[in-house]
Amino acid sequence: MATEFHNLQEMQHCASLVTKVFIQRDYSEGTVCRFQTKFPSELNNRIERTLLEETVKTLNSYYMEAEKIGGQSYMEGCLACATAYIVFLCMETRYEKVLKKISGYIQEQNEKIYAPRGLLLTDPVERGMRVLEVSIFEDQGSAGSSPSSTLSSDSSAR
Amino acid sequence: MPASGADALKPSAFLPVCTATCLLVGATSLFFVFTCPWLAATICPAVPPCCAILFLFVLANFTMATFMDAGVLPVASEDEDKDDGFRAPLYKNVDIKGVQVRMKWCASCHFYRPPRCSHCSVCDHCVEDFDHHCPWVNNCIGRRNYRYFFLFLLSLTFHMVAVFTFGLIYVLHHMNDLWKLHFTVTVVVISISGLFLLPVLGLTGFHLYLVSRGRTTNEQVTGKFQGGVNPFTQGCCNNMEYLVCSPISPKYMARPCKKSIVHVQPPFLRPELDQQMPMKVGDNGLHTLALENKLLKASEQQANIKGPDLCSGFRESPVRGIHQGSVSVQPPLQPNTVYSSLPLNSRSLALKHSCRYGSKSQLPAMQSDGWRSSPPRGIVTSSTLLANQSSNDGPPFNNFINPTEPQLMSQRGAPSVNFHSHFMMLGSDGSVQCPPPHSYSPVFMGVTRQSPHLRDSLRDLVSQDTTLPKSAAARYDNFSKTIMASINERRELEERERMLHLQARSQAHYCADVGIYDIPSKRSLAPDNAGPPGSRGPTPPAYGSREFLMSTGILTYGMRTSPLSNSSTLSLTHGSKTSSSQLQNCSSSSLQNKGRSSSPAYCPSERQTQAVPSSTSTLPRLTSTNSSAPPYTSYATAKRSSLPFPSEGKESVTLGALK
Repeated sequence: MATEFHNLQEMQHCASLVTKVFIQRDYSEGTVCRFQTKFPSELNNRIERTLLEETVKTLNSYYMEAEKIGGQSYMEGCLACATAYIVFLCMETRYEKVLKKISGYIQEQNEKIYAPRGLLLTDPVERGMRVLEVSIFEDQGSAGSSPSSTLSSDSSAR
Repeated sequence: MPASGADALKPSAFLPVCTATCLLVGATSLFFVFTCPWLAATICPAVPPCCAILFLFVLANFTMATFMDAGVLPVASEDEDKDDGFRAPLYKNVDIKGVQVRMKWCASCHFYRPPRCSHCSVCDHCVEDFDHHCPWVNNCIGRRNYRYFFLFLLSLTFHMVAVFTFGLIYVLHHMNDLWKLHFTVTVVVISISGLFLLPVLGLTGFHLYLVSRGRTTNEQVTGKFQGGVNPFTQGCCNNMEYLVCSPISPKYMARPCKKSIVHVQPPFLRPELDQQMPMKVGDNGLHTLALENKLLKASEQQANIKGPDLCSGFRESPVRGIHQGSVSVQPPLQPNTVYSSLPLNSRSLALKHSCRYGSKSQLPAMQSDGWRSSPPRGIVTSSTLLANQSSNDGPPFNNFINPTEPQLMSQRGAPSVNFHSHFMMLGSDGSVQCPPPHSYSPVFMGVTRQSPHLRDSLRDLVSQDTTLPKSAAARYDNFSKTIMASINERRELEERERMLHLQARSQAHYCADVGIYDIPSKRSLAPDNAGPPGSRGPTPPAYGSREFLMSTGILTYGMRTSPLSNSSTLSLTHGSKTSSSQLQNCSSSSLQNKGRSSSPAYCPSERQTQAVPSSTSTLPRLTSTNSSAPPYTSYATAKRSSLPFPSEGKESVTLGALK
């Protein structure tokens, strides 16, 4: 029925972006990639403190793993030298592999934890690893006047 | 040469790199053709292959240093820029291993430069761990390609030494054949290699020193850690290890695009509140939470339907009589706890509020309660929906089932005719209007707010009220109307006062001959006058802030003193570029600084010396008012104009005033 259909449309809720919170880098250990685990006050009533801290700590550990100087990075360097860096055309560096893992982790966190709470994490690599961006969404209530509810966290080529 | 700036793409920028390439490849090729056969025959057959491998190494590192992204940081998005506010300082201090390091605001890239990051004026971008811009490779040397640059220098040194040495041996053995071709070519080759050996050796030695001290060329040249402690060094050996063996950091620009769609759809989960939520006992003995806290969660409460005492975690007394009564009259809903502490008449109004509001958004919110224990059943007798949903504890949106909606809709009944709040879903014409997320009922206007967010929401609410359609506004009851009127009056008064204040201030500036340049800039003052972070109170605009710029010169275009105001605007630039495009960048960034600019009299000491003369030299030009020079055209066509519409209006107005 027409009325019912109209009402169903009205019932379709959309989220719209309200603001973004930026978790800054923690430079206390130098230029290694670490993010501050300080909980932003804007997220006080949006997500549990422990969840966000857990996410940031996991990200920090991933970055630490990526930047670790050890056996694998030696081998990579030697191989690259030996092949006059042609190997970079064929193979992915270790850092890139870890970045892929990180982006998968962020995607999973978004789907499981953040999107249900109206939040969205953006991969720091899209921001030059300077900030961890948390987008805050609010319920707008109506499908007609609000922007689309689906938001892609895809990284765009710049 | 992945340079995106204008200067790096000029034809003249390619001259050094082409020269270097020609010399390197040409001279080495001649060496291999004319000298190596004799060397292989006379000295050792392994000499040419070793030289060839070395030369390959040189070429590979040269190519990597030339074409590899140095670690360019992408320009910050507008959202990030706004976060810093209008009165953000030019520098931010950060503590690195006990040493205070300053992070400077980059006006072009719109972020605070990370430590060791610097802006390359040739390429016009910020580079991580910026070393220098090398003209011989026409590329910035930074975090990602410093290793290749260093190895290029090292290998080139060895290569040049080898070519020079073997060439000399050949020449010394062929002193009799002075005019033979081979001899002449070899002499030319050793001259070239000998000529460039000393500078290259010097540069290699310099970089070896830098690596041992853990500094970049930029830091060495600017004398950053000359007297003090360098927090970035890890000791000579570790620095060498880091240089050679560290993983290559990723490229930030032009990353491969991958599609990963994440649906963000309400209703949203909310964290469980802490138990120390202050409780108020209402007149009728109902336990309610403190008003402010509830207001914070006004629109997203996942109320357990038990009456007024809720916020999600509580399991308190069942629905009281009054609520039951109202519930039975009104469409099925979960009474929003927000309103329950009010006196009776407003409470009933508030309940009607929540009816309208709750019926739409609260209902799905109920369903997302699955992640907590299921709500008590049968509490709200009139809600058949809950009975359907209470058995489902699955993921939030699985329960958002269509069949329940028409049921709900049909139970809404006729919209109440005598009262709709301006948060109404349903306008008079049946069109749906969404309540703003942090909107509050007008009955709460008098409540004091603690946090800037609430204050902002209040201001938003106030501003929204004036744009409401008349039909909705007309439905206010008398109680809200008087409050709204008083708030509007107060707001108008404040605005009038502010305008008067600003005009008086700008008048004072124009009266003084040198008033503008004598006033200390915001940055030269102590940082504690910046106010609390995130404060958005109605303070008068700080000198140098965007509001000040707007108030003093640009918006008051009716005044004839606009040249002076424009000079004040451009004098507040934050130019740190050395090229002639500096003014362009300055003028384009002046409106974008939002408080990060200062008059040239107070420029920081490390600003490059060219900056000061050029910015001061523009002032007489500006005051003469008859030059419609390129700076003004570039002013209008600022390429990084990131301000919203009002700023564009400002620019056109400024141009108009000047012309």
